[in-house]
Amino acid sequence: MLSNTKKLFIEAGSFQQNKHGNIVCGDTVLMHKSIEENRTIAVVSDGLGSGVKANVLSTMTASMALNFSIRREPIVRTAKIIMDTLPIDSVRNISYATFSIIDIESDGNAKFVEYDNPPLILIRDGQLYKLEKEETVIKREANQIEGNDRMVMLSNIELQKEDRLICFSDGVSQSGIGNMTMPFGWEDGVNDFIIETLKTNPYISARELSRIIVKQSEFNDIFKPKDDTSCVVLYVREPRKLLICTGPPFKEEDDKYLAEIIKNYKGRKIVCGGTTSKIVSRELNLEIEVDLKDVVSSIPPVSKMKGIDLVTEGIITLGSLTEILENEIPHNIDQKGADWDIYRMILDADVIDIVAGTKINIAHQDPTLPVELEIRRNIVKKLALLLEQEYMKNVNLKFI
Amino acid sequence: MLNVRICVGTYCYITGSSDLIKLKDRLPEEIKDKVSFIGSACLGCDESDESPNPPYAKVGDVLIKQCNEEKLLNEIYSQLGLER
Repeated sequence: MLSNTKKLFIEAGSFQQNKHGNIVCGDTVLMHKSIEENRTIAVVSDGLGSGVKANVLSTMTASMALNFSIRREPIVRTAKIIMDTLPIDSVRNISYATFSIIDIESDGNAKFVEYDNPPLILIRDGQLYKLEKEETVIKREANQIEGNDRMVMLSNIELQKEDRLICFSDGVSQSGIGNMTMPFGWEDGVNDFIIETLKTNPYISARELSRIIVKQSEFNDIFKPKDDTSCVVLYVREPRKLLICTGPPFKEEDDKYLAEIIKNYKGRKIVCGGTTSKIVSRELNLEIEVDLKDVVSSIPPVSKMKGIDLVTEGIITLGSLTEILENEIPHNIDQKGADWDIYRMILDADVIDIVAGTKINIAHQDPTLPVELEIRRNIVKKLALLLEQEYMKNVNLKFI
Repeated sequence: MLNVRICVGTYCYITGSSDLIKLKDRLPEEIKDKVSFIGSACLGCDESDESPNPPYAKVGDVLIKQCNEEKLLNEIYSQLGLER
């Protein structure tokens, strides 16, 4: 009732692993979702070599590719500018970073640009779908050290529901190189791996699939990756909805309205806040049970209410959640605490509806309380912005 | 079984109930089997007109303001009719 679900929804997920012993990744993955246009753009770039130098090359390439794509610059011009801009490696005398650009419009029309990355994979109906690719030669003017013209592959397709696009750096396709079982690396084995994975788990999220692919590459290299490994998965799916209600409504008459929203919502539901859960419990006649078994020191314990997936305390939990979201994607997401519970549910959701009550809690107006107990409205706004910009979620924010 | 409710709402939690809920793991032997610790999302401090005195806890039907371990144990003992 809060969001339009008719649009094609694209879930985007990515995972990266550094080359063994490196503290920075030489690959760069950038994703952008423009809410107004309902357009999704993802870029993967692999810089020459590894470490900081590769990271600089790939970061420059990826951010140029992304920003030019957002502004709908012609691809030939984009590719040319990227190639002419990169600094020249003093050892190898070339300037180089690969890139792949995936640009999906709201109607499902997708354009792909590939330059020297392993071929993009499209899985449709559980099978590998062969994309028709067109080669375009990019003539180079500046920095003409070796004088070679470069070849860029272009393709496009109309996406359907349940399609998956998988794009990775050569860290994936070349993983395991030199092993008895895969002397030339994983190569086409990755296709079979993806198809097998989808067979056993047809609704696997983009986030999880990208993680599994990278983890398997790491395994192929016996847990010492020989190259930076990155994978991006875009999954066209029925949006998974999540409702987060926090805070009592400004007007008491609206308590019923809040309860109605929660009752009729089709999707997973979270209620954050002691007073809020009391209102919901009163209006819907549901009992609250606070679970004191797994108490994490810094975060108040979660409660249980029938029909609500998660009931937590309000401001402390949301504040801590915002902190988790602000940091880089952690490698271990299975941590305990109400904030981590919400975090995991957020990662699994595509459309997030937030209903924030704006009544000021008089009990909190105590100057001796820590500053972190921010006004709910501020914290919710910050949360919504983060989810939209950094986590590519469709966020609907409503104040009552 | 005597019900002991501890409020874990925001205000109560940061003013001390985070420690109170841990008390359930180190209750004295003689009362260990006679009380059950239950959390509560809110015991109603926001509804009363007087200025709030968190943390709140409830032993049976008795509401304790500005609760601490000492007050809580005293109330439990007195309701159970035991000497401390």
